[in-house]
Amino acid sequence: MKKSEALRQIKKLCGERATEARFECALYSRDLAPVPALLVDPLFKTVPDLVVCPTGAEEVAEILRLAGAAGIPVTPRAGASTVYFDSVPARGGIVIDLNLIKGVLELDEEMMTVTVKAGTTWSELERYLNARGYAPKSVPSSAPASSIAGWLCMMGYGIGSLKYGSLLSQVKWAEVVLPDGEIRQVTPDTDPPLAWFAASEGTLGIITKLNIEIRRQTPMKHFLLHSRALSEIAGVLTAVKDAEITPYNLHFTDEACVRAMSRQGIAPGSVDSGCLLAVDYEGSEAELHRAEEMITALVTGKKAVSLLPGEVAEREWEERYKSLKLKRSGPSELGGEVFLPVSRLENYLSDIKRLAGRYGLEMCSYGHVATPERMIIMTMFFADETRVFEYIMDLSLVKKIQDVGQRHGGYPYGVGLWNTPYLGRIFKVSELEQLRARKKKLDPKGIMNPGKLYKWHPMLNPFNFSLGMNVLAGIRRFVRGGGRG
Amino acid sequence: MTSEAKSLFTTLEREALICGRCGYCRNSCPVYRVLGWESATPRGKISLAKEIFSKGNSKALTDEFVQRVAQCTLCGACAEACSTCIDTRTLWLELRRRIAGLGRTPKAYHALRENLLAHKNISTFSNDDRLEWAQDLEDEPEGLELKAGAEVCYFVGCVSSFFPQAAQIPLAVTQLLMEAGVDFTTMGGEEWCCGFPLLSTGFADDAREFTRHNVSKIKELDIHTLVASCASCYHVWKHECLSELAGYDLEILHTTEYLARLVKEGRFALNELEEVVTYHDPCDLGRNSGVYDAPREILRSIPGIEFVELEHNREDSLCCGGGGNLQSVDAELAAEITGLRVEEIKETGAGIVVSSCQQCEQMLSTAVRKAGLPVRVMDISELLLEAIG
Ligand SMILES: Cc1cc2nc3c(=O)[nH]c(=O)nc-3n(C[C@H](O)[C@H](O)[C@H](O)COP(=O)(O)OP(=O)(O)OC[C@H]3O[C@@H](n4cnc5c(N)ncnc54)[C@H](O)[C@@H]3O)c2cc1C
Ligand code: SF4
Ligand code: SF4
Repeated sequence: MKKSEALRQIKKLCGERATEARFECALYSRDLAPVPALLVDPLFKTVPDLVVCPTGAEEVAEILRLAGAAGIPVTPRAGASTVYFDSVPARGGIVIDLNLIKGVLELDEEMMTVTVKAGTTWSELERYLNARGYAPKSVPSSAPASSIAGWLCMMGYGIGSLKYGSLLSQVKWAEVVLPDGEIRQVTPDTDPPLAWFAASEGTLGIITKLNIEIRRQTPMKHFLLHSRALSEIAGVLTAVKDAEITPYNLHFTDEACVRAMSRQGIAPGSVDSGCLLAVDYEGSEAELHRAEEMITALVTGKKAVSLLPGEVAEREWEERYKSLKLKRSGPSELGGEVFLPVSRLENYLSDIKRLAGRYGLEMCSYGHVATPERMIIMTMFFADETRVFEYIMDLSLVKKIQDVGQRHGGYPYGVGLWNTPYLGRIFKVSELEQLRARKKKLDPKGIMNPGKLYKWHPMLNPFNFSLGMNVLAGIRRFVRGGGRG
Repeated sequence: MTSEAKSLFTTLEREALICGRCGYCRNSCPVYRVLGWESATPRGKISLAKEIFSKGNSKALTDEFVQRVAQCTLCGACAEACSTCIDTRTLWLELRRRIAGLGRTPKAYHALRENLLAHKNISTFSNDDRLEWAQDLEDEPEGLELKAGAEVCYFVGCVSSFFPQAAQIPLAVTQLLMEAGVDFTTMGGEEWCCGFPLLSTGFADDAREFTRHNVSKIKELDIHTLVASCASCYHVWKHECLSELAGYDLEILHTTEYLARLVKEGRFALNELEEVVTYHDPCDLGRNSGVYDAPREILRSIPGIEFVELEHNREDSLCCGGGGNLQSVDAELAAEITGLRVEEIKETGAGIVVSSCQQCEQMLSTAVRKAGLPVRVMDISELLLEAIG
């Protein structure tokens, strides 16, 4: 089928829920990352030819069948709260905006599961469940924007993961429209299995519905620890993480970040230096009581660690989705998100400090512990995207952050388009081969979100990328000066 | 960013750059909920504003963009949701001002401005007819017009003054003040529009002329307590007249606040009303001014009333669709937004929905009638009057 004919039929199918208007399509050509057109446009076609907003699986299936017949690339997009152009087209084509596929379908109180449409946001689900005495087991810290399926298609770790595991481990089944238009219900035991779709970044099909485990909403207890000594707080973090009662949330903020917050007047408890550790528990009153005893004992034993007042800890919990507020100091923010072994936190931060000093800027780090072994740590610095040349030079430091992460056993959290040069760091060769085999099996025509996850654009091959970024970083250091190191 | 929090707004250029495009604001925007396109989201509009004003790409200033900027009720839900504490409501006002400055204002706004400049009110009637509604009072109180030194000045607002459908509000407020024995007056024909329609369409300088006039009259009358029954008038008095009022002692209250005070002081004998009642928070009173408790205190003080909250209430309230002059540019969209709220009203099973803004009352009444719901829409003053009836 000709491309024009397929597009015509899709437009007819979706009626007013389809648009080719340049004004509209251009807005689907970016996510959070304001990468300058100068870098993007020569390599990628990020403005889609058509944006459609289907209302259910059948419509999605028909769109995929028509797109497949004409070989048109399709990019699924929900909250678009990602930063690696995951939901931005690399080769034009169709963007499927999934935000109309939303709503809670069924709450099963006996099985403790909820069936929800893919585009529902985590905050919407949380609100629905809380009103009935339940809660999601875990949520991304972008819950107000992130869709249920969007998080599954990414890494699926966030608040609550330490206690309840990854989102994948909580999903019982999902309804998926495969690239050929077949609608399937996938479980851990089907072929293809559910696990294939986790972290698949919209490259294997489109999820339209999910059945996920929930928990009872229980009381919570919040603690916010402060210390001027990183080693002390890192010790507490490990002790708390490995204690008999697992925290629901364990969030670390480093000294540079605290200073930046303090300058902005938003540091909790008005602290102006040192680092912070938020420890949040949920469970029965007895569990909370034991947790409190444990935290008190831990702090009592450590002179350099203090407990901020309870109301400050509570406010910090209420602000858990607002990590971006630091951006007011920017106006732009650049950074790297590293899936880091918890045990390496102290060393990682000490190298980051050295890196920041070398380039004469402040690098702020914060993040949550996602599993007993790893944490998602965001290291960011302020920039100004209106100074395009300087901004491009600043982009090179993102690689430097990832390099520090790699030295300590970390790798980028998520791939999308911009982290493809790190594929070799994220996956073992055998893992990558396996991923590519899945892609070939489910999407032989390669229409689903091409350009993401499996291979780099020739210009972004690891060698070129590394060389380019290192040269840029060198120029940056030379032109803008640096500090010690 | 909430009304109670200090606005962190710097400049349009900087705030547009600060926006992280996270999309936290997307689902809370009633316009996006109806239209469903990225260009209708606060983040979509801000990213275009960034292109135009922060990056100087004037080509991005298209008619479609101007239309999207006008398709906003100024409800402030996006400000409440914003992850970077952008005072988006101020940002939208500034954006409309800039667009007007570039001569790209929608036609409907021009007509509105010309009418306001000519009549000093949003109707086409002479401003001298401001107190026509008072002819329906059984006993017109002494000093209703321009009584110097009165304890309270009631700022009636254009809609309540000139639109017969809204006349029940000033009638109820006046009767309540009389019942409570309050020494009050109004500015009569000297009351000019509060300036909100001009401010919200980008004509801030013209609006300033109106606020200056009103403030000078209040000072002339030696008034030290002003009570407004319109949520937007109240918001303007409270937040936009600060420089004009500097050094002058004026307590500014919304009728809900003043009536709650009178109720607390036992100035009304309240009879039982066997009704299930819900309350719709007007955006300019609730989210944008931080008044949530006063209306609820009044409702709870009326014996027999079973009060039920709407699903979205207080900071989280849904707009009625009537704000931001949306009706003048896209009445259909405004009505669809009201439809979302009416669905929630239906869910509560309430027989009465109370608001405290004549615009909300208008929007909800029309939509409730259209939906055939057996629900009465009332201003809080009307309900209170019924309770003392
Ligand atoms: C402040 C902030 C905090 C964050 N915190 C976290 C965190 O704690 N944990 C975390 O993992 N991430 C986090 N993120 C990143 C991001 O918000 C999440 O990964 C989020 O879950 C993505 O969901 P989305 O709906 O925005 O997806 P999108 O960005 O729209 O899409 C993400 C990917 O999934 C695909 N996709 C989306 N929906 C579907 C579908 N229905 N079927 C198939 N493919 C689909 C897209 O093509 C894309 O590849 C954060 C981001 C921000 C800005
Ligand atoms: S003020 Fe209200 S209508 Fe306007 S963009 Fe914000 S949320 Fe939408
Ligand atoms: S919530 Fe605030 S920062 Fe995020 S997209 Fe909306 S306006 Fe921008």
